[in-house]
Amino acid sequence: MKRLLKVLSVSLVSLLVVAAFSFAGGSKEAAAMTSQGGRVDLQGKTIHMTILGIGGWIPSRLGVEMAPIFQKYAKEKYGYNAEFSYQDAPFTSLYQKAATSLATHSQEFNIIISDSQWLGALSNAGWILKLNSLIEGNPTLSKTQWWDPIVQESYQSYPDYSNELWGLPQEGDVLVLYVRKDLVDNPTNQKNFKAQYGFDLPSTFEEYSHLTMDKYIDICKFFTRPADGLYGVAIQYSKEYDYMTGSLYPFIWSSGGQIWDYKTNAVWGVLNTDSNAKALETDVSLLKYAPPGDVDYGIGQVLDAFTQGKVATAWQWAAEGSGMITPQLEGKVLVVPLPGFMVNGKFMQVSSLGGQPWVLNKFNDPAHMQVAKDFMAWWYLPQTQMEFVKQGGNSVVKDVLDSPGFDNIHPWLRAYKYELTTEHSRDFWHVPQYAQMLALQQEYFTGYASGAYHDAKSVLDYIAAQQQKILYDAGISKIPPPTNIANIVAH
Amino acid sequence: MMDVLEVNERAAGGKRGPQTFRSGHPRLSTQNVARLLIVPVMLFFVVWNVIPVLWMVGLGFYQYSLTNPTPPKFVGLHNYLSLANDAGVWWSFGRTLLFVILSVGIETALGAALAFVFWGSVRLPGRRLALTLLFAPMVLTPVAAGTFFKLIYDPTFGVANYIIQVLGGPKVDFLGDAHLAFLSILLVDIWMWTPFMILIGLAALGSVPTAELEAARVDRLPFHRTVAHVIWEHGKFVLILGIILRTIESFKIMDLPYLMTSGGPGNKTEFIAITLYRDAFNNFMMGKSSALALITLMTAIAFTSIFLYVLHYQRERKTI
Repeated sequence: MKRLLKVLSVSLVSLLVVAAFSFAGGSKEAAAMTSQGGRVDLQGKTIHMTILGIGGWIPSRLGVEMAPIFQKYAKEKYGYNAEFSYQDAPFTSLYQKAATSLATHSQEFNIIISDSQWLGALSNAGWILKLNSLIEGNPTLSKTQWWDPIVQESYQSYPDYSNELWGLPQEGDVLVLYVRKDLVDNPTNQKNFKAQYGFDLPSTFEEYSHLTMDKYIDICKFFTRPADGLYGVAIQYSKEYDYMTGSLYPFIWSSGGQIWDYKTNAVWGVLNTDSNAKALETDVSLLKYAPPGDVDYGIGQVLDAFTQGKVATAWQWAAEGSGMITPQLEGKVLVVPLPGFMVNGKFMQVSSLGGQPWVLNKFNDPAHMQVAKDFMAWWYLPQTQMEFVKQGGNSVVKDVLDSPGFDNIHPWLRAYKYELTTEHSRDFWHVPQYAQMLALQQEYFTGYASGAYHDAKSVLDYIAAQQQKILYDAGISKIPPPTNIANIVAH
Repeated sequence: MMDVLEVNERAAGGKRGPQTFRSGHPRLSTQNVARLLIVPVMLFFVVWNVIPVLWMVGLGFYQYSLTNPTPPKFVGLHNYLSLANDAGVWWSFGRTLLFVILSVGIETALGAALAFVFWGSVRLPGRRLALTLLFAPMVLTPVAAGTFFKLIYDPTFGVANYIIQVLGGPKVDFLGDAHLAFLSILLVDIWMWTPFMILIGLAALGSVPTAELEAARVDRLPFHRTVAHVIWEHGKFVLILGIILRTIESFKIMDLPYLMTSGGPGNKTEFIAITLYRDAFNNFMMGKSSALALITLMTAIAFTSIFLYVLHYQRERKTI
């Protein structure tokens, strides 16, 4: 026993000695990385970086697939070797993966591809680096101009519309409409449609960019032919993550509604309006023209339905373009803006904004932080952005989107560019409580879509009251929830 | 442990003092060695069970969100009161209890019935193969089973719908229909865990002494009375153990519904474990989720206690 104790004591002391030396060595190494003009000197060193991104999301993956180009660039410009590895998780669990790691102040993920609505949660917790000084101090970043103010508002700022910048846009994205051009161009379809509905079946970008919802519903109706295994539309109604929310919001916004007032943080009285209830009803009415089981469709299922030829049109993110347009469908797909509504004599067409910002882990050591900053600056070089676009990514840089021939690089880029504006797209709340608010409404929206609730207005009343309570309890809104909240139920 | 050692010592001759190793080291008795050996297990238990549970209990009295930089704030019973007033939590508990009652009830009934079938067919050809095949669902992970059934239930290409249509029926959206999703998940759970109850049933039947069964046969005791007075008396402990295990498992069901429906459509398959998961790992509300976790834990313990009490009560009554 004594011997055992002796062995244990010796081991413990040895460990302490090794740890003390390592710490001293580490400090020495850190001290050796003396700043040179504000930079950490990494000459001759190899730095291993880890990027956390979205599993199965093409633009997210491109950030790492293009890393060898950065590796070469960093070697030539800064004299260090940067190695990259990629970790991912599906949309539904990426935030958990990032947050649980960041909560321990770990630098497991040096750069994170966040979703835009997480900026509040990540910055509020103090996990990510505020980027104002990096952007101001870097010639590339400070000179880069975004395509539209919505880029900064959605991918960089928190609080909303403030000048506190926490992210840099990794890729832009909007929800667009994928249309089977071969079906709408078909002369028989054209003839039959005109005979049935009294107007021409739209077949060009221009025609679709002014298409109203009622006419679009006619198109969906026309192509719903269960006997042939063909349906009018595939759209997301799944309860997972923000799937149904992302597809429903264009109905609300395009019909003149709002989801909240970002200035007063009021939800009650803003979300639960008759107009928004009608928008929810219209969204769910499309289920009649969708394949069986669409009520559970998420991004992947919509992609499957479209690529397998089950639907004539699909509501899908522009970022999924290279997945939606398979080699078999090349030349047969038209990508257009989502249909709109006539509101007080004015055509309104507002899509959901997707896309993700880069955020930098605040707990990166100086060496990793330096590489992360260099990587950000490299990402917005014109040649990097153009390569990103060619490989299937959606740039938000003005010069790139303005460059000749941009619209024709990929079939979805024209619709993407058209919608990525303050007029044609919106993002939802970025508050730290977004996950709670989202989970709540996903449950009740999908409950309505699946027939668990039958009154759209009561569903919105319940959601609005509960979301107001969440914001009020968190101290974000000074507006209290309705006093009769206990009696507000969805039915 | 002490008891076991003392019994062993008594069995070995009783009056001898504590055994020592051959080295003859006077202090390293068998008891001390046993205590020493148990230390790693106890340490593991304390570090991974006791401390986290105590931590969770404590956190339940605090308002603490991982996404909020402010330190945890003591709020007393606020989290518990908030849960008590949360209609969503009550709904999840209700769904879970209904699921536990239906799944455990049906699995026990089916398991017991099939156990009798296999018990009485020892010489049946192919019995072993049949048993092996029957137990296959039990060894699958719930994630794998959930994925298979999600495909089987698919309204477009799923086998279930294919069969229904061949038989002339309409397409059924098993997981998307608000009225069918719960039943569809229940069916998968029954498919997966009935074999376990068969196994428990066979173990219970195996614990009945052959002599007593033969005596019942000689006395021409009817089957139902043999079950009530002979088989039940011996097999009930094993069977109740199986029911306890299944109750606890069903109560914490998470993987199947989360994978198949994410708790939907709406909240139709929102079980308490999913609610807890969302609060803890989607919303990062650590205080509230700790309180809910404690309530869930206490409910599971209550279930176990009720079963054990029933068993104990029956035994006491027999003794009187």
